Amino acid sequence: MTALEDSREQTAVAGGSLGASLSRKEDERLVRGDGRFTDDVEPARVLYMAVARCPYPHARITSVDTSAADRMDGVEHVLDPATLRRLSDPITVLRPVPGAPTLPYYALAQDVATHEGQPVASVVATSRHVAEDAVEALEITYEPLPHVTDVLAALEPDAPVLHPSVLESNLLAANSSGSGDPDARLAEADVVEEGRFRIGRVTALPMETRGVVAQWRPGARELVVHCSTQVPHLVRKQLAESLRLSESDIRTVASDVGGGFGLKLGVFPEDVLACLHAMALRRPVKWSEDRAEHFRASTHARESVHDYRIAAAADGTILAMTDVYATDIGGWNSPFGSAQLSSVVFNGPYRVEDGYTERRVTLTNKTPIGAYRGYGQPEVNFAYERLMDRLARRLDLDPVELRARNMLTPRELPWRNPSGAVYDSGDYEHCLRMAAERIGWAEHRGHSRTPREDGRLVGIGFSSFVERTGYASARFLAKRGSQFGAHESVTLRANRSGGIDVYTGVSSIGQSSETAFAQVVAEVFGTDYDLVRVHAGDTAASPLNTGSFASRTMIAAAGALREAAHALAAKTLRLAAWRLEVAEEDLEIAGSVVRHRRDGDVAATLADLYTVAITGQGIPPEEDPGLEATAHFEPADAAYSFGTAAAAVSVDPETGEFDVERFVMVHDAGTVVNPKIVDGQVRGALAQGFGAALSEELRYDPETGQLINGSMMDYFVPTAADLPSMELLHTEVPSPVTPFGIRGVGEVGTIPPGAAVANAVCDALAEYGVDLDSLPITPETVWRALAAVSEPASPEPAAPDPAGTGPSDQGVEFR
Amino acid sequence: MTETATSHGGTDGEHAPAALVELDTTVNGDAVRTQVPPRLHVADFLRQHLGLTGTHLGCEQGSCGMCTVVVDGEAVKSCLMLACQLDGRSVQTVESLAGDELAPVQQALSDEHGLQCGFCSPGFLMTATALGYQGGCPSRGEIREEIAGVLCRCTGYENVVSAIERWFAEHPQQAGSGGEVRSV
Ligand code: FES
Ligand code: FES
Repeated sequence: MTALEDSREQTAVAGGSLGASLSRKEDERLVRGDGRFTDDVEPARVLYMAVARCPYPHARITSVDTSAADRMDGVEHVLDPATLRRLSDPITVLRPVPGAPTLPYYALAQDVATHEGQPVASVVATSRHVAEDAVEALEITYEPLPHVTDVLAALEPDAPVLHPSVLESNLLAANSSGSGDPDARLAEADVVEEGRFRIGRVTALPMETRGVVAQWRPGARELVVHCSTQVPHLVRKQLAESLRLSESDIRTVASDVGGGFGLKLGVFPEDVLACLHAMALRRPVKWSEDRAEHFRASTHARESVHDYRIAAAADGTILAMTDVYATDIGGWNSPFGSAQLSSVVFNGPYRVEDGYTERRVTLTNKTPIGAYRGYGQPEVNFAYERLMDRLARRLDLDPVELRARNMLTPRELPWRNPSGAVYDSGDYEHCLRMAAERIGWAEHRGHSRTPREDGRLVGIGFSSFVERTGYASARFLAKRGSQFGAHESVTLRANRSGGIDVYTGVSSIGQSSETAFAQVVAEVFGTDYDLVRVHAGDTAASPLNTGSFASRTMIAAAGALREAAHALAAKTLRLAAWRLEVAEEDLEIAGSVVRHRRDGDVAATLADLYTVAITGQGIPPEEDPGLEATAHFEPADAAYSFGTAAAAVSVDPETGEFDVERFVMVHDAGTVVNPKIVDGQVRGALAQGFGAALSEELRYDPETGQLINGSMMDYFVPTAADLPSMELLHTEVPSPVTPFGIRGVGEVGTIPPGAAVANAVCDALAEYGVDLDSLPITPETVWRALAAVSEPASPEPAAPDPAGTGPSDQGVEFR
Repeated sequence: MTETATSHGGTDGEHAPAALVELDTTVNGDAVRTQVPPRLHVADFLRQHLGLTGTHLGCEQGSCGMCTVVVDGEAVKSCLMLACQLDGRSVQTVESLAGDELAPVQQALSDEHGLQCGFCSPGFLMTATALGYQGGCPSRGEIREEIAGVLCRCTGYENVVSAIERWFAEHPQQAGSGGEVRSV
């Protein structure tokens, strides 16, 4: 920490904006209650939409009679599945699962609905209440079909098939990757530690639900869509495709977005519906999602079952690692479903030359899976870090030393893992040692395992990780059929007041991009932070870009901002040199003026110079008028963040009740643009990681197929009173593959809490031989694990293994 | 006023225009006399009838705290209270806090980076405001308990707690003595 703080202060002093904890551009409007979230947009003569949803997990829609609703006072328009099909095309998948066939995902269920909450019809009326009453008046008849909610059961031969016209089973796609000869290494290893790990289903749950306001001017062929999204330009593309319009006809605007976390990536059925209603009625149509809808009809995340193996020599050296897993995608393939990074970083920070993964993307009758902060990485971290602790126990090694022995060293990097991911740089062991020291591992190891005075047992657990941030290039994305690039684009435009306007398609979702973008521009250009204003999220004003996800925004945008700011600064200096009749090299931009480096009296204000450029009056004959630059930047490769977390817990061995008493997070985000923002991102993601680790789980009744806890009263996200205080420590190893050496920082906190806490609880209960293999970890799961070790374990059914290459399920071996 | 109410349409406007209820209340220091549908909740009244969109909705079930406002000095979840229950009472929303400058509690929230997307901020600011009216100087643990009714999915709360703690430390007179409601 001290090293970092020193370096941060130096950066701040030397460079100006970059590296300083400047106050955020976004804050003033938000703390005044003057933000503009989608539900705050209220055009004149607006109408309100409500949506009828399938109440069953799987049902044939035998009839939709809208006549009673049509006749109701205040009802303006109704869409049924047949009309919808005539007017629109299916929603496109932006990040397809390689090898997956296309499922025809229409905005209203055609013939069969495959999850509870899927839209079946929609109504627009003069008030939300009338619209909702009209939904009640729709006569929709369903024929319930057999359903399957368990991801492994869905792969059984007798499971009901969700999309029989496209697929013969519920296996949407199977993908494998790997290198070396893991099977040979497994055969010759001294020990093989293996296990099955279940990751619970959670949801991102942004505090602002989804929403859309659509306005259509037919004469102008102009559809203006305000929506709560992370990717306005991608929404525009998807809407054009579904609505059979040209992109030229559509403008999407995301003003303030009340949290995204991956959930708000792309078009949802309700967006298409609101647009179709608005186009039919020629009046604005608004839909504000209620929380019950959000729980059933947005997207969920994480649910998967991993069969992991680590083969090792007696000294703990890892010889091979494999993961064969079934990952749930729910009833449809949402634009970013399902999580695709489990395979990419399955070996974590460890040297694994021989290894493979096999992913089985599986359809179930549940809400579609979408992207969620971490995108597959927390899932595998839980599994490999639990196995590392088991391996340490089995070989009687210190788990910290076992980790250190197998971590890639700075000299070995860059290094290509069996999935083809190139880890760029870093000192993984340094973070591990810092975490061990901070949490007091040596003292803890030295102590006897007797209960504390209060009768509780204490334990410490670690989780080491790498995180992929950014994308590995457009080439990488093209191979996977992704419909977006790896770059960011920005436009910088000087104005006559002496300011610089930055236009970006990156919407403001809480990630502080307005602030960070302004910092980079101020730094590179040399002007004041206050003179830079960022205009975000409007496709009519911003260059075509990618969007805010995958911890990629800053990595890619920093390059574009730097390039555009350089171009603008160069021209500004040329104009100044000509007007002041001095050499360009003798001039510098400082705050709001350009001045001579040695003679402060020779100076011109930026406002004057910008005006000269904008009017073209008084510029050198060889120059074009105007002062504007657009730049596009694609980073050379993805950058891998890394670190280690440590949890200290106390457990009541009678009840399984436990407390996380301390949590240390050591993390490297490369060069830090704004320390306050980086800390905030890590803390926020840790809170979500703790939710998924300890209290959040969407549960379905296997009999009815219905979501049991789909409300904020029953689904427990952490409150201020629930979280332990987090001790954050950073290292700062610049990435060689990104501008300024930045690594992404948005998602990393979601990764380690589950494994660190589980390892700590298992450490506390080591004498009992307790083992945890699922998330979330609750007092009940701990109590059950305690009960299980005093009883003979009942064998679990074997994993379905359609490809026939998976590991046998031999259960868990204890020392 | 009936016309204005129904043109907003949002929740309970045109459905039962005959059954409007008289309402005489004070909002951010200004007297408001109007008629409202009996089922209209305070959050929709503020947002749709008065255009005070700083009060947000996250669940309409009393679980998330996004809609927290101050009624007669107490923090109230405005999605759980009917507009007609405001009769004779005084309500304060986030829009009342700042003048030309941010109020100290807002400044503290920004300085401590206690907001990211900012959707929850009005809820925390109004909860803190009500806490300030109670006086005293709460500990970090007490602050955590007091604000536990407002959820935040972005910050992990630590900086929100620090902001409120700092506000109490730096402005004991405002935080402690039930400062005045400024007129908007
Ligand atoms: S909207 Fe009122 S508590 Fe959630
Ligand atoms: S800042 Fe986004 S919910 Fe709190």
